[in-house]
Amino acid sequence: MLSFIISRLLSAVFVIFGVSCLVFFLIHLVPGDPVEVMLGESSQPADREALRAALGLDQPILVQLVNYFNGLLHFDLGESLHSKRPIVDMLMERIPATATLAAAGLVVAVVIAFPLGIMAAMKKDTAWDSGAMFFSLFGISIPNFWMGPLLILFFSLWLGWLPVSGQSGIASLVLPALTLGTALAAILARMIRATLLEVMGEDYIRTARAKGLSERAIIMNHGLKNAMLPVITLLGLQLGALLGGAMITEIVFSWPGIGQLTIDAINRRDYPVVQACILLISLTYVVVNTLTDLVYAWMDPRIRLGNAQ
Amino acid sequence: MLLLLPLFLLMASCAVPDNGALRFGLSKMPVTLDPRFSTDATSSRINRLLYQRLVDFDAASMPAPSLATWQKLTPLHYRFTLDSGRALFSTGERLTSEDVKATYAFILDADNASPHRLTLARSIERIETRGDDVIDFILKEADLLFPGRLGIGILPKTLIESQHPFNRSPLGSGAYQLVAWPDDTQLRLKRRSDDLLLEFIEVTDPNVRVLKLMRGEIDMMQNDLPPELIRYLSNEPGIMISHGAGANFAYLGFNMEDEFTGVLQVREAISLALDRDSIIQYVLGNSARPANALLPPDHWAGVPALHQIAYDPAAAKALMSKLGYSVEKPLHLTYKTSSDPFRLRLATVIQQQLAEVGIKVELKSYDWGTFYGDIKAGRFQMYSLMWVGIKLPDIFRYVFHSTAVPPEGANRGRFIDAETDRLIETAEAANTIEKQAVLYQQLQHHLLQQLPFVPLWYEDHVFIARDHVAGYTIARDGNYDGLLDVQRND
Repeated sequence: MLSFIISRLLSAVFVIFGVSCLVFFLIHLVPGDPVEVMLGESSQPADREALRAALGLDQPILVQLVNYFNGLLHFDLGESLHSKRPIVDMLMERIPATATLAAAGLVVAVVIAFPLGIMAAMKKDTAWDSGAMFFSLFGISIPNFWMGPLLILFFSLWLGWLPVSGQSGIASLVLPALTLGTALAAILARMIRATLLEVMGEDYIRTARAKGLSERAIIMNHGLKNAMLPVITLLGLQLGALLGGAMITEIVFSWPGIGQLTIDAINRRDYPVVQACILLISLTYVVVNTLTDLVYAWMDPRIRLGNAQ
Repeated sequence: MLLLLPLFLLMASCAVPDNGALRFGLSKMPVTLDPRFSTDATSSRINRLLYQRLVDFDAASMPAPSLATWQKLTPLHYRFTLDSGRALFSTGERLTSEDVKATYAFILDADNASPHRLTLARSIERIETRGDDVIDFILKEADLLFPGRLGIGILPKTLIESQHPFNRSPLGSGAYQLVAWPDDTQLRLKRRSDDLLLEFIEVTDPNVRVLKLMRGEIDMMQNDLPPELIRYLSNEPGIMISHGAGANFAYLGFNMEDEFTGVLQVREAISLALDRDSIIQYVLGNSARPANALLPPDHWAGVPALHQIAYDPAAAKALMSKLGYSVEKPLHLTYKTSSDPFRLRLATVIQQQLAEVGIKVELKSYDWGTFYGDIKAGRFQMYSLMWVGIKLPDIFRYVFHSTAVPPEGANRGRFIDAETDRLIETAEAANTIEKQAVLYQQLQHHLLQQLPFVPLWYEDHVFIARDHVAGYTIARDGNYDGLLDVQRND
């Protein structure tokens, strides 16, 4: 297991390094001059050159890359071109909001998806199954930018139960979490149903039934446990996406998270902030997927053994 | 959903207590509250509430005293005297001429990379203080418009020297002071005269902003709403909508180096083919007035008697026919615009109107950065944009002079015209404002003949509030100075 962990961590480091290089070069390929963004359209060439030199942008690209990595190693991501604030501070302000929303979205997804998926599998080819799968199809099909305003209209405006948007207390978390969680729940429910149906046809389930175990005990102790592997992979991928900032949901609900910061920075051509946000999102994916791999290997020894061979 | 119903009820009981603040919905939060660096509209508007400036503008956009009155001692020497009854900084310190000097000296220092440096550095030779209340600006060259360039908020010298982070912790002598800026979606200010709390709340999505207003989560907002949402709100009880004439100038720009849009008859045909009145009535919901020039007619250098651009599709067809084009055999042009849905909708209407006179337009919409980059680089045939917050007529040099082709200026259409250059230079050299106004008026007549752009309209400002908001007046340039007098009538 130790060698598996080490190999996964090493590959994660390489991926992060690769992503950092890619982000750096891609940002430099994007049309637009950050110096002009800072000084405005009417700036003089001499002023632009002076600022370019002050920012180190007149250096060869490889020197800039080395400086960039030097900054990264010292947790120095630079400062925003527009607000002049340290980017680390901006990210640290946003991460809690994004993490809270991701966690709440995940809870909503799990609370909806597990009962729905299990029910659909247990009552296969009945109205319950069809109803659950209809909900699932609905959840997958409806985009967040539509689902969000619909929920606002219903729960905030008509019923008056919840605030429309913002981050003003726990009540304001419900609608964005529901918007995010519903789509994820739909995918999860289908996955749980499919894997559970597959597992329930296995010999060891038949054996458990022959031993006289209750259907509930069979599902909980044998079926669900063995159906969890692909579900965990999916959850890991989705959690990475949620932590990376659910951009549309954050914008609809004015949720001050990483997704909204990224979009704002792109619109303002605030390249260092865009660069830092993309790096953070990539880092989140890598960390979450590495953890998922480790959990996967812990749950299924064949994976780590196969990897070792 | 049903499983989560009890959760909703629990959450609903956790309503946020109302702190009595008036809440103002914004589509974008300010980027920086340091007036030395702010360039975006929201930052500039909020900075006006936090800082005082030497000079402001009157209704005709003529420079007017704000924190100081001035005398032109010689064409190269302006003396400003600070108002004796001026407000203190929110620290309690008195604003002096040293603070004014320190603010402008910081901007003029090239190492500080202030975006406002260029305009000021062209004019200012040096700044001298004479006691606490008097400050002299010595100029490099005569500049009749100089007082109008001193609209930047004044900061305390001691804090400039200690490198205080004004961008997040603004500290001025304006009517409001900062209470908190907890995150990038909320900004709380307090009015110094009566402790009224004001909260700016960012709500990017216009639909959600409207829903928040309807539910009472925000009390007011200004602009940045599509006309259909304004129409929708006009039928809602408890919502007030006010319109104010604006000076933001929308236009169709052309690439003068292009083999088609560089031809005057093509541009004339386009201007004749556009039914601006119908667009204003049906698409803009009557929230605009037709424009014939960059400066509105009520500007001191504007031209009230400028001839109106006619809507005459028959004449447009005739012009296109002379050039060998018709509806059956149309001229093909590309029209670039931003990806903003409303701008795209306007572009679609223009596309349809031009198709009817034999100009087949292909629309290309891009995200703002790419679109703006293409326009500056001259990669376009035709585009639409808007000039916002124009006060001084030196905009004409910046936009139309042959030396102002990007990156030197904003002559994006590469319009090179000797008569235009001559009129701009003569106006700049005039020794009185009156003579300057006449020359700029001649220039606007000339531009309307040459059509380097087709003027479209000046968009109105729309203020929408719940009915307990009183005392707000809409400013011509869309600033938020109405908040100086706003009241809550509960």
